[in-house]
Amino acid sequence: MSNKKMTRRDFLKYAGLASGAAMAASVMGTLPAAAAEAGEQPSWLQFPHIQKKEFEGVTVRMLAISGANYDELYKIIPEWEEQTGAKVEFVFKGDGFQTDKRLVQDFAAGTVDYDVCWDHSSFFSQYVKADGLEPLDNWFTEEELADFIPRLVDATRRDGHLWVIPRHFDISCMHYRTDLMSADQVPETWDQFKELAKQLTDPAQGIYGTQFAGKEEALSGRFYEVLIAEGGQLFDEKWEPVFNSPAGVKAASMFAELYAAGAMPPGMTSFVWEDVAKNFAAGIIAIYSEWYGWYSFFQDPSSSKVAGKFDLARQPMGDGKIHSGWAGHHGFSITKASQNKAAAASLIKWLTSVKGNELEAKLGFLVARQSVWDKIIKEAETSPDPLAKKRLELALLQAQEDFKTPPLIAEWLPMSNILYPILQQIILGDVEPQKGLDDAAQQVRDMMAKAGYYGTGA
Amino acid sequence: MATISVTKSPARARAFEISADEAKRLPWLLLTPGLIALAVVVAFPMLYSFYLSFTNYDLTRPTTEFIGLQNYIKLFSNATFWQAFGRTVLFMTLAVNLEFLIGLGIAQLMAKALLGRGLLRTVLMMPMMFAPVLVGFQFKWFFNDQVGLVNNLLYTITGQPHIIPWLVQVPLGFISILVAEIWMGVPFMVIILEAGILSLPTEPFEAAEVDGASGWQKFRHLTFPMIGPFIYTAMAIRSLDLARVYDVVSIMTGGGPGTRTELIWTYVYRLAFTGHDYATGSAMSYVTVIVSFLFTFFLFRNVIRSRWEGRE
Repeated sequence: MSNKKMTRRDFLKYAGLASGAAMAASVMGTLPAAAAEAGEQPSWLQFPHIQKKEFEGVTVRMLAISGANYDELYKIIPEWEEQTGAKVEFVFKGDGFQTDKRLVQDFAAGTVDYDVCWDHSSFFSQYVKADGLEPLDNWFTEEELADFIPRLVDATRRDGHLWVIPRHFDISCMHYRTDLMSADQVPETWDQFKELAKQLTDPAQGIYGTQFAGKEEALSGRFYEVLIAEGGQLFDEKWEPVFNSPAGVKAASMFAELYAAGAMPPGMTSFVWEDVAKNFAAGIIAIYSEWYGWYSFFQDPSSSKVAGKFDLARQPMGDGKIHSGWAGHHGFSITKASQNKAAAASLIKWLTSVKGNELEAKLGFLVARQSVWDKIIKEAETSPDPLAKKRLELALLQAQEDFKTPPLIAEWLPMSNILYPILQQIILGDVEPQKGLDDAAQQVRDMMAKAGYYGTGA
Repeated sequence: MATISVTKSPARARAFEISADEAKRLPWLLLTPGLIALAVVVAFPMLYSFYLSFTNYDLTRPTTEFIGLQNYIKLFSNATFWQAFGRTVLFMTLAVNLEFLIGLGIAQLMAKALLGRGLLRTVLMMPMMFAPVLVGFQFKWFFNDQVGLVNNLLYTITGQPHIIPWLVQVPLGFISILVAEIWMGVPFMVIILEAGILSLPTEPFEAAEVDGASGWQKFRHLTFPMIGPFIYTAMAIRSLDLARVYDVVSIMTGGGPGTRTELIWTYVYRLAFTGHDYATGSAMSYVTVIVSFLFTFFLFRNVIRSRWEGRE
């Protein structure tokens, strides 16, 4: 035993460390004792558990989304390769729609030669139906999933299995101009929204009360979220289309009324996401539903006339007393054809780890892990951006309470293809809402019957 | 055994002999690679899609069943399909004829130009150098209601703000895509028709001149009938182009809003490629291809007829 004397400074230092450890232990009351004693982080924060060189010589082939900031995450892959000994090879990179097309074709043709694929809560059902995905229940434990926002994980549970591990999400949120209206005017219901939009329309100033993306899935999705808020549904429990209900007619009528009143730009039926975002940034829209993903674009004075002049609010409710909240998340899946499922699972755990989520959160993505949210909300308290904290808190609240994906069926996009041209006709006044929705419901029913939803007698 | 002697070149003086049977087989032998390529690239996909049109094939469904004529029966009661079909025929008719009239006018003027014909021809060919997708984007911007060139031009001229939704209103959306397509197609007509006009013999025109024929009479009774084969050839090729028009429409309007500018191929694309209903899409394609074939047959019959009339 050393006879070295402890100085007063050493004593204070060790006493401080001991008291700090005691405090940490009291905070981590739910941690396994061994972990707490060792001063380790909770296991769910340490994902993934990688054993040194456990996949030496394995090549994990990956089909990935690319563009915007999506590729930044892939920069952490070399570290995983270093630790596991495996190699990652990208067989395809494209935007979401290109990647979806490639997946659908590969699953149909049986030409899948990759292990990990990009996936999306709106699209994965097609791949499940095509028998192209591996259920993930055996590869991810409940403990490993515990840190993910539950609604995100539940959004890709189908047929009793989990199919996608969430990476980041987005959800509709009301964006409004603070120089044109006050916070107490923020609509709580879609009825109020409709009246407000008409009221804020000012042709002399070139201001339209509102707008919606007016074609393809963008329009079907907006209709869907208003329909749900109004207490309607797309399908009943037997998969019969029921969106031609009074709630559906009310939702569709709102779009038509706003268009007829001149409260939306006349060309709105040709708008897609970029168009509506650019219109808002150009300062010609007073209030509308938008994705959080455009936030930095709107706050950049070099690209937006409304930088510092807008605020965010929760989506309105309808007669169903439900907040709208069309949402979706990106994620990763393992293909059924994969020959390296363990390595594929390990790679997905790495990409969706706290490390991966933190990297993506810094890029502005709304990530999937609760622990990362807690951290970034705390950090946002000191942000110079006055909306930084509010934006994150609102997004988290919506993710926890309002997150609604389209029906988890492969027929969502085919259904949307039937629905949106008819919604456009309703908006333009070419057809009455009830008649148009009845026609759409019949066409959707035919499509569902063909897909085998009603048995042979349908 | 009879033999055929084939001498390639007196200079080389190298001859080889093949039997009569071999001589019969030779053309087929030479055609075989081409036929194989044709079978793989054209015949098999066509036959396969024809088969698909009798099934319920869906990309996302693992199993496919034979359903007989159901897709075709449904097609005949599909109002959207027939509206798109009618609109496509109208689009083709208007585009081909307008391109022809404008092209003929320009070709006549160019044929008379003494200076700068080469430069003019180069400038005129520029629209042909652009990919249809780019033309679609260009005209989409021209006709954009908020920031488009046309509305801004109207504003400059009249001093009043004009927010005309060109791509939305009926029939402006249809006219807008027609303008884009004509802009792309006229140069082709000019090139072919000008070649026809320049190839005409001068004697009949000189004789007409001596007889005191007016410019219109010379055009009506000499130029127009004599360039008949060129006219039909140019119109047949453009008709085939227009029968499969997709790119420009897809970019400018996507066939919408609603179904206001829906043409056959935008509808087939929406149904088959984004709706995964390849079976109905195949049935639609076949009906369309058969009609296009009849249309082309009619045009080529006229080409051949006009050629014979020209010889007589």
